[in-house]
Amino acid sequence: MGSKVTKAPKIKANRLSFPERIGNAFSAFAKRFVDGSLGTKLSHFIFGAGNFYHKQYMKGFLFLLIQAGILALMIFCPSINGTPYGWKALQNLSLRNVSDGGDFDPLTGQFTSGSDCKLMVLFGFVTIAMIVIYFLVWNLNIASSYKSDMDRKVGKKPSTFREDLRDLLDGKFHVLMLTPTCIAATLFTILPTIFMIALAFTTYNQQDMNDLGTNLFHWNGLQNFRAVFTGEGSLGVEIHARFLPVLGWTFIWAIFATLTCYFGGIILALLINKKGLKGKKLFRTVFILTVAVPQFISLLAVRNLLGQYGPINSMLMDLGLTAAPIGFLGLNPSDSEMLAKVMVIIINMWVGIPYTMLMTSGILMNIPADLYEAARVDGASTVKMFFKITLPYVIFVTTPYLISSFIGNINSFNSIFLLTGGGPTYTGYQAGGTDLLVTWLYKVTIDQGSYNTGAVIGIFTFLITATITLITYRRSKAYNEEDTFQ
Amino acid sequence: MKKVVCMILAVAMMATLLVGCGGSSTPSTPDDGIIRVWVGEESAEFYQKVCNEYVAAHPDFGYTVEVKGMDTGSVAGTISNDPTAAADIYTVAHDNIGKLASTQCAKPITDEALIDQVLADNPESFQSVIYSTLNDKSYLYGVPYISQALFLYYNKAAVTEEEAQSFEGLQAAAQRAGTKAITVTGDDGFNMSFALLARKVSDHSTTVKIYEGAEAKSGGSKGVSNCQGDDTVAIVRWLQAFAADPNGFKWASSDGWDADLDKDNQGVLAVIGGAWHYNTAKAALGETNLGITVIPTFTLTAEATQGLTGVAAGDVYRGGTFADCKCFMINAYSAPGKYAKEQELIKYLSSKEVQNASYLECLNVPAYTGATDFIKQCYSDGKVTESQYNLAAMQVAMAEWGIPQPFITGTLNTYYYSKNAPSVFRAMIDQTAYPTTGDQILSETTSLEGIRRGLYLIEYLWMHGVTPDSFPASLPAQA
Repeated sequence: MGSKVTKAPKIKANRLSFPERIGNAFSAFAKRFVDGSLGTKLSHFIFGAGNFYHKQYMKGFLFLLIQAGILALMIFCPSINGTPYGWKALQNLSLRNVSDGGDFDPLTGQFTSGSDCKLMVLFGFVTIAMIVIYFLVWNLNIASSYKSDMDRKVGKKPSTFREDLRDLLDGKFHVLMLTPTCIAATLFTILPTIFMIALAFTTYNQQDMNDLGTNLFHWNGLQNFRAVFTGEGSLGVEIHARFLPVLGWTFIWAIFATLTCYFGGIILALLINKKGLKGKKLFRTVFILTVAVPQFISLLAVRNLLGQYGPINSMLMDLGLTAAPIGFLGLNPSDSEMLAKVMVIIINMWVGIPYTMLMTSGILMNIPADLYEAARVDGASTVKMFFKITLPYVIFVTTPYLISSFIGNINSFNSIFLLTGGGPTYTGYQAGGTDLLVTWLYKVTIDQGSYNTGAVIGIFTFLITATITLITYRRSKAYNEEDTFQ
Repeated sequence: MKKVVCMILAVAMMATLLVGCGGSSTPSTPDDGIIRVWVGEESAEFYQKVCNEYVAAHPDFGYTVEVKGMDTGSVAGTISNDPTAAADIYTVAHDNIGKLASTQCAKPITDEALIDQVLADNPESFQSVIYSTLNDKSYLYGVPYISQALFLYYNKAAVTEEEAQSFEGLQAAAQRAGTKAITVTGDDGFNMSFALLARKVSDHSTTVKIYEGAEAKSGGSKGVSNCQGDDTVAIVRWLQAFAADPNGFKWASSDGWDADLDKDNQGVLAVIGGAWHYNTAKAALGETNLGITVIPTFTLTAEATQGLTGVAAGDVYRGGTFADCKCFMINAYSAPGKYAKEQELIKYLSSKEVQNASYLECLNVPAYTGATDFIKQCYSDGKVTESQYNLAAMQVAMAEWGIPQPFITGTLNTYYYSKNAPSVFRAMIDQTAYPTTGDQILSETTSLEGIRRGLYLIEYLWMHGVTPDSFPASLPAQA
């Protein structure tokens, strides 16, 4: 008896190579131009021409409007806060020909405004995104016209605007639903991410800029990445000395924080779900209460409890167990780093275990009772049933959660920042003994204004977490054998 | 039905996003008929009151005024990060003027009447640090209205008035109480001026120089700095020994200097702080136990002066301070239409009358020349309590032992505060390496050679903003 796993047959698609696909796309494109009607040919140059040709006026008008809008934006370059969009934004992306501004007119109290490099980079990327959108719509408008050509060829009437709208509510409902999500993802995830990555290749360091008395920054290639390995630059020394220790502790923390909460939660769930236990609801409520209290309040309360003059130290000293306060959380530079690390892992269990307990309780209730019954008939012991049925089942179901929880812990800002503030500190460095990559990132950017270095650390963090996520998830049973646990 | 629900959700999501977009945009220079003013947290109520009075008395002023209390210690950073979100008129310590001017977060003062008032009312020491250069032209940027210096708060229940006059006296009191003698409110370059700027009592001398003769211009001359004199070496050695003593100096604990000073905790008997710490210190010790005096003296020991010339065992030094002023400045991003009225309002807020009222209500020590007479008069008239009088009188007294922070360009300010010189000084007091892990630049700070290297490193950071590649073969040497 045990878990029987049926492997799904792996189908290897007969895939075309990349150059073949590119070649196919081009030949299809050329075919569309050659085979298409006059309208389709014209729509290669004027958006919506094909639709007008097929008397789809509304659709044609919308395409034309988009073309006119984007072209106007590209040519007339409207500006926001003195920074233009359009072709000037593309030119500005080089961050050359920038000016500090600053001529002051004492009568009006006005400065001539200088260049804003941040906006120049951002608007440059927005303009590139507009160009990409332009070509996507261009292709769409040709495809739309060509489809009408094909419809005509087979004797069908080209669809009207109303039919297209109706189709959006029916056959293409997914398109209607996914469009807002795609727009939101582009605006709020993809563009900021590209902007952040771009900053890693600039000299955008507020402190250095203050030193030079300027608001401007420029591109500096891979210099920031080089500084991580060579220890050059204003924060290079720190990164060179502290990156590996911080990375190492980040992993240790993530592993311990994940596993302690995970197995602690499972054990607690098993105990609470044990048959014959009285007051199950009471226990569940008690543990859920820790979830109900905002995490930062719990953490700050614990920080006060364990502070130098906090009740725990006072009690220990009153009882004569210690002569001086114990630096549990590494808040002073001379405190023990190891103790602080152990303490944050333990305290994190308090806020983390109830989540796993809640989830595991649900999973435990879902395990088919006949599995246990069959095992019992076969003479399996309780321990054996736990290791052969309960644990594999729970692990199978919760692997994605385990991975996301591991990644979440790598980026666990609250627990560290609110408990230890990254301490104990090392003289001469921003990164303290319990700082994770993410809290270090906060100090480097918010406290030091070194956005370029922060971006480099951010990219490294992303590469590490993305790699681990992909490798572990793709190797997990939950991915390879979806829906196959029996 | 499902589709309808999906569409409603999608529309709601887009609407939320659009609302989010709308809220995040900050108009850079709206002239909305309101002049916003940031002052210290302790004085917000007072300045709101006087502004309201001014607006009521001048119907042609045309603006309402909104005053908000801010932490003036960190407000310069807040303004630098996003000047468009800052107030039209803000308060900063004068050492931030260079930084805010060079990054165009501030507008120069051009109103002749206001400039005349500033020049007529303020001492030369302040006048020399409120200018900065814009496109090679010197402008007045800050209008002083509060004077400030470090002094000593102590626990009268455990320390006598006489003991509070010297570090040795505090140490004896701490020995009796079984605790530490003294702490500071922070380990930055401002608070540690009590040690670095300590002066010989007999002739007020110190060899320390910080950017003396520097130009008020970004990228201009950095002036002369010196941190390697024998007196400084002796002071570091004395402080190292005092910090290592179980009843000597300690850094503020993680619970804060006020928790250390608290009469119940008795973690420390005295703290060097400023007027802005008054309410916190009073809360920690209570009005009756709160003693206020000048920063104490200390006597150099034979160990501290061993192997040094120019200093001798028995020389008495008094802890030093930066004697500073807080200034009003105008936000560069404020609407141009407000410019004249902003200067008019600043002229009123920095007038002697308002400074005097501010002392009586908020204990802000006036910055104008001759304010001491007013402070004495208030005490003799019974308008202020003894500790409130001491608070002002001791700052005025400490001004004799201090210098204004001479960081009149953004670069110098950054080099002094943000390039780790304070961390090096702390490492020296703790007698540890700097940095404490990784590549050892300064492997020890205990021997005479180590201390000289540490002081060379500090001076080098002040001047260049980076650590040197190596140390000169013999020290002292020009950094």
